[in-house]
Formats: sequence, C-alpha cells, structure tokens
Amino acid sequence: MKQEPIPLPSDLAATVERLERLVQREREGRLQAEAIAERGLRELYESQVRLALLQRITDCANRSNDFSEAIGEVLKEICEHMNWAFGTAYRVERSGKAVSCVAWFTSEPARLFPLVEASRERTFPSGEGLPGRVLRDVHPHWIDEAELATDFCRRVAAASCGIRAVCGFPVMIGDEIVCVLEFFARTAMMDKDAILLTVTQAATQLARVIERERARAALVHDALHDAMTGLPNRTLLDERARAAFERLPESREGLAVLVIDLDGFKAINDKYGHHAGDIVLIETARRFDSVIAACMGGRRRGDEHAWRATLARVGGDEFVIVLDSLPNPGIAMDLAGALIDALKGAILVGDEYVNVGLSIGIAHSAAGYGSVEQLRQDADLAMYEAKSGGHGGVVTFSEALGNERRNRMALESELRDAIREKQFTLFYQPIFALGALQDQGERLRGFEALIRWNHPERGLVEPGRFIPAAEAGGLIVFIGDWVLRQACNAMARLHRDLTERGMSAGELPYISINIAPQQFLQPTFSAHVRRVLLETGVPPELVRLEVTEGVAIIDPDQTRQVLEQVRSWGVKTSLDDFGTGYSSLSYLQNLPFDTLKIDRSFIASMDDPKSRKIIRAILDLASNLNLSVVAEGIETREQGASLREMGCEYGQGFHLGRPLDEASAFALVWPDGAANAA
Amino acid sequence: MKGVVFNLLEDAVVREHGLLAWDGLLEMAGLEGAYTSLGSYPDSEVIRLVDAASAALGLSAGEVLRWFGRSAIPLLRERYEMFFTSHQSAQSFVASINDIIHPEVRKLYAGAGCPHFHFHDLDDGRIGLAYQSPRRMCRLAHGFIEGAADHYGDQVEIEHLSCMLDGHPVCRIALDWSR
Repeated sequence: MKQEPIPLPSDLAATVERLERLVQREREGRLQAEAIAERGLRELYESQVRLALLQRITDCANRSNDFSEAIGEVLKEICEHMNWAFGTAYRVERSGKAVSCVAWFTSEPARLFPLVEASRERTFPSGEGLPGRVLRDVHPHWIDEAELATDFCRRVAAASCGIRAVCGFPVMIGDEIVCVLEFFARTAMMDKDAILLTVTQAATQLARVIERERARAALVHDALHDAMTGLPNRTLLDERARAAFERLPESREGLAVLVIDLDGFKAINDKYGHHAGDIVLIETARRFDSVIAACMGGRRRGDEHAWRATLARVGGDEFVIVLDSLPNPGIAMDLAGALIDALKGAILVGDEYVNVGLSIGIAHSAAGYGSVEQLRQDADLAMYEAKSGGHGGVVTFSEALGNERRNRMALESELRDAIREKQFTLFYQPIFALGALQDQGERLRGFEALIRWNHPERGLVEPGRFIPAAEAGGLIVFIGDWVLRQACNAMARLHRDLTERGMSAGELPYISINIAPQQFLQPTFSAHVRRVLLETGVPPELVRLEVTEGVAIIDPDQTRQVLEQVRSWGVKTSLDDFGTGYSSLSYLQNLPFDTLKIDRSFIASMDDPKSRKIIRAILDLASNLNLSVVAEGIETREQGASLREMGCEYGQGFHLGRPLDEASAFALVWPDGAANAA
Repeated sequence: MKGVVFNLLEDAVVREHGLLAWDGLLEMAGLEGAYTSLGSYPDSEVIRLVDAASAALGLSAGEVLRWFGRSAIPLLRERYEMFFTSHQSAQSFVASINDIIHPEVRKLYAGAGCPHFHFHDLDDGRIGLAYQSPRRMCRLAHGFIEGAADHYGDQVEIEHLSCMLDGHPVCRIALDWSR
C-alpha cells in the first residue's frame, strides 16, 4: 500500500490555525480528564462521609434499646450530614396516625422555633400533611420550593424559617410503617438518590431499635402478666402495690387489698380437667374486670376522689385486687359484694354449667402498717377466715384476727424451740376394764399417752393449748413422731421389766397413741410406724393408734390403706372422739377399726336421757360391728357404774386415774409389793 | 490557590482576548502556566497574573478581579451546572455559597481553604456580606455576585461599606436585591 504523505500547511497562518486547534484539543482533553477525576474524588468523598455517618447511626442503634433516645441522635447526625435545618420524627400509633415523637434536631433552635412549634406534638392522620402522605403512600415524599409555598400545611412557619425544601421518609419493619422521618432544608435538596440511599439506611437502623424495643416490651409484658388471663401477675402487682403504698399520706389510709380465692375450683379441675379449670379462670378474670370497670365507671373524669384498681392473678385460683387512693373504705366492701354477685351466674364449660364461689379477705391500710406486704398478709388471713366458714363470703381484717395470728405465730416459734430443746414429756392415763360385775373392780388394761409441754416459764402446758397451733404450723408431724417413738420406747421398757418379774404376755398393758391427721396422712407414716415397732421392740398388738374422723374426711382411701397396713402387722386401731363431728356410719363400715372411743361430752352429760340413748346406740353399734368400746372422761363413780351396767367394757377418766408421769403411771401396773419396792 | 481558579482565569482571558493573550499574560507575570484544576498553586501567582492584566489593560487590580469574577460565572455554570439549576434566583444562589458550594469544593479538593462569607440583614433592608480573607479579594466576590445576577437575570446593587484594602479589619459589602 502506497503511503500518502500527511498534508502539512503551506503557510504560517495555516500553521498557527492548526496549532491553535491542537491547543484547543489539549485543553478539552485536560478538562475532560479533570472532570473525570473530580467525579471520582466526589464520589469517593461522599461515600466515605456516608459510610462514616451510617457507622455512627449504626453504633447509636446498637447502643440504644430505646427509640426515643436513639431518634434524637439519628436526626442530629442526618441533619448535620445533609446540612439540613430541621429534622423531626413521628411514631405511627395503633390508631394509624403519625404522632410527633417530640424528638427533633436543629442547629439553630432560635431561628427554627416557629417550625419546631408547628411540628411538635402534632398528629397527622393518613393523607394529611407530609407525614400523613408518607404514611398513606408508604414511600418518601419531596416538597420543593414551588410546592412548599402552596401545598404545605405548615407553610407559614416554614417560610418564616427560610425553608426551601422538605422531605419525608417512612421507617419500615417488614411491610409495616412504624415511623415517619421529616427533614427541612433552607436550600434545595439536590441529589435525591444520595439522600434516599442515606436516609433509607438510617431508617433501617432505626427500625432495628423499634423492633428491639417491641421485643423487649413483649418480654416485659410477658414477665409482668399472667399468660392465661392477661391480667397483671404477682410481680407487677407487687410493684404497683409497693408504689401505691409509698404514695400513701402520713395517715397511711386509702389503700385496700382484696385477696380472692375461688371455692370449688379444685373440684371443677378434678372433675372436668384442667382445660375446664382454665375456662373458669379466664371467665372469672373477665367478670372481675368488668365489675371493676363498672364500679369505677360511676365516677367522673377529673373527680378528685378518683381511685385506681389493679386486678392480678397471683396463683392457681387466687386473685388479688389492690385499690389505691380510696376516698372511703366502703368501696372495697361494695366491690367485694359485686364480685361475689358476678360469679353467681354459672360458667359454661363445654356442655356443662359449673359454679364457683368466692372467699374474699379485705385489709385496709392504716397507721400501723410498715409495708404493703403486711397488708397483703392480713388480707390473706381474712380470706382464710372467710374460707374457714365453709361458705365463702367476705371478711375484713380486724385487730382481733390480727392478735390471734400474732399469738399463734409467737406460739409456733416457741414450739420450734420446744422441739429443738426437747421440752415435751409424756403423761400416761390408765385405761381400765370396767368389769362385768360391780364387785370385780376395775382392772388396768392399758395407757393413753398424753403429751405435755414442759414450758421453761409456764410449767406443764396441756395439749389443748398448743396442739392446734402445731397443726396449723405443720409442726404436729415432728411432735407426733416424737410421741409415737417415745411412747413405744417407754412401753417396751415397761414390758421388759414386767416380763422379767414374771407377768404373762396376756396381762401386759397396751399403749394408746394419738395420731394427728397430718401425721397419719404422710405418705411415709406406715413405714415409720413399722420402723418404730422394730426399733423399740414393743409388741404390735399392744400398740393402739388413735385417729379421729378428720383423717377419713380428708382422704378416705389413704386412711383405709394405712389402717389396713398397720393392722396387718398386728397394731390395733382406734377411732377417737366418736359421736362428735360427722360420725358417718360409712366410716365405721369401710374403715378397719378395733376400738371406738366414746367422746367425753356424752359421758359428762350422762344424766340427760338423750345422752344415755346415744351411748347405748353406740354400744349396740360397736357390738354389732365387733368393736370394743372405751368411754372417755369418766369423772364420777356413778358414771363408771352406769357405763358398766350398759355393757361398756373399758373406760378412762379422772375418777379412774388421772394422767401421771411415766414413773407414777407405770407403778400402777405392779403388784402391790413390787410397786412399793419401786 | 486551587488550580481551578487559574483555569477559570485562563478561560476568561482566552474567551475575551484570545488564546495568545493568556500566553502573553503568563510571560508578563513570569510564570510557567501549567495549571490543572486538581492541583494547588501559590496565591502569589494569581496576584502576579492580576497585576500583569492590570498593567496590560490599564485597569486597577480590583477592576480586573471584578471582571474576572463576573466572567467566571458562565464558565462555572459549564463546569458545575448542578450548583446553578437548584436555585431560582441569584440571591438564593449567592446565599448558598457557604453551605453548599464550599462543602462541595472541599469534597473535590481536600484541604481547600474557602473564604467564609457572613450574610446578615442590614437595618436598611439590604443584605450584608462580611468577608475576611488574607487574599483580600473582595472585588472577586463582587464580580461573582454580578455574574450570578447576570445568569439569573436579576438586578443587584453592590456597595462596599468597608474594605481590608483600605486598612479596615474586614470587608463589608451591602447587596440590594430589591431593584
């Protein structure tokens, strides 16, 4: 290919023209190179600054569990980064409106005051105002200078602050808009893509804070509420009750605690299952709630006598209401009555209607109270008092109830000391065969072991003075076990001595030991009896365990099993205090007893023909069922004689022999000479 | 001084006086004259170029700077269109100089020392512009404002209330946009 020479200018002017074009091209090339470099520098700079901003916002979001705390910092960061005059935020509430968070940032508060005032504490319904438009459309909105003057509801305030552009952005959690951010600038907003990128990422971080806040609120709610009924639980109740107590005036009046227990709930649970029980609890909670609402509804808003109520479920079937700022104490009683009425209507469980009653204890705060816990304990006590009546109802705590409790608690504490320091001792009351013929005289057949408390200050204390407290405090189990072992030990020693002196096994006295219901119904009771028999070596057939009807009422099946078991080892069983209480004949029929003990009250009133008839009926019954009978509380010779005539085999009482200490009581067994020798 | 100022001056001179005039000016000032917008150059070089132009055109240095400022606006518009399109008026454009343009300049040229213009309301309704710079280029600012007014088709009356060139501690310019 032939090379053509490159054409060159022939004259100077043409050369200059060419050189000028050359320079011009060089200039254009340089400008383009500069523009390219500048664009790169700008983008690098902007992305660095944006990354730093987002890093700060992310740090803030990570630090904060509280939206109201984070939002102020995020608004500040964005405004400073964008050089915007004012930023504020609106939370989207359950009503679907955007409500000002009262969080805002401006670097010039004085200058922006009109706009801050026009925006704070504002609520925008969907579609209204810029926040409302963002809320409705769920996408960012921009308002430029031209639109601002005509179509912006806060335009007067905006104009007075020199605002030229506004933008609003949604903060989203999934598809839900939870917040609207709004920014005002005194210059036009130019690079909308960059703004959108930055603010959207900031919004994502804010959404994380709201999500965490919600998760925490849900946890707190769950931690403070009963999952089944949705009512406050014990923790929240305690918190509110304590706060209410702290707020009390010096007189400490104005607070009441109602402790409410459902009567008959256990039976429903047992009969229909726990699901039914749950339905009852939920319905009960609902009715309580509406009763309280109705009681409070009577008062006007702003009434200076406004009172508050917190209803809580604190246990299985136990509810508590704390009434706060009560203008008069009668409200608590009225409310209790309304609650009882509300549960008179049966509750539908599946296809069945069931009924539950209420036992309500009320305690009112007063000067003596040092804590709300004391108040709660007193309300508890009043509730138990209501429940102990058997028919539910309302009992308000009183000083008398309180004294009773204080005394019992003091006694319980002393009893604990007594158990630890072994202050108990056993007395033995002889039991005699009354003899078929008057002239035969009474023959000693056994002893009833009777506990005495050898109190360091008060001396010997009778069981009637402390056994009820021991039973209430659960101490009876320890005391009863001690009695069982002590009595068997003593009797084993006596038997050994008597046998050594040549007494035949048939003549040895038996020991009758009282067993409290709590002790008897312990799952380990029969095993414990077995162990005591083995360890002491007392002949089982010379041990009689006395129980009252109480055990059978609490748990008939368990009672029968224990009785059968101990009888299988040869131990005798005795039904104590017969004739009082329920005296159900079915117990006699179903439970394996060897002996009936006629209650002392019938013996004491033997002059009354009615009592004599009852005694005769008991004797007939026992005879037919092949049970031996012991009459208790024989105090006169006449009573003894009458009982003998009526065919009562055995008896005990002051007339025959008082309870004595071990040495004195056992001396009665010895033949005259030996007794003297002892 | 950022290289872009030299480039603008070159463009303004070339546009008005031709390509060779710039070379002449450089020769008079005794400068090499290879400037790129990405670089920074001693302030003294600008002053020497202005002085050379002043001598060549028989104008005061202030007059040269004012001419340069006014001529530079259309050139800036070519290079940085986005700074202009977002404003509806020269007043708005001028007011944005501290808040928008300077930060933007700093984005491109790390360490660029931009003058700060303090705007304030004067009692007579005019806008006050206070300016303090060791470079004492208030006349350049004057020209920029006139150029902005030209661009947006606005009228502005500019009065120098005080000037560092006259020994005042600060340059104060009054702008009247109401005409």
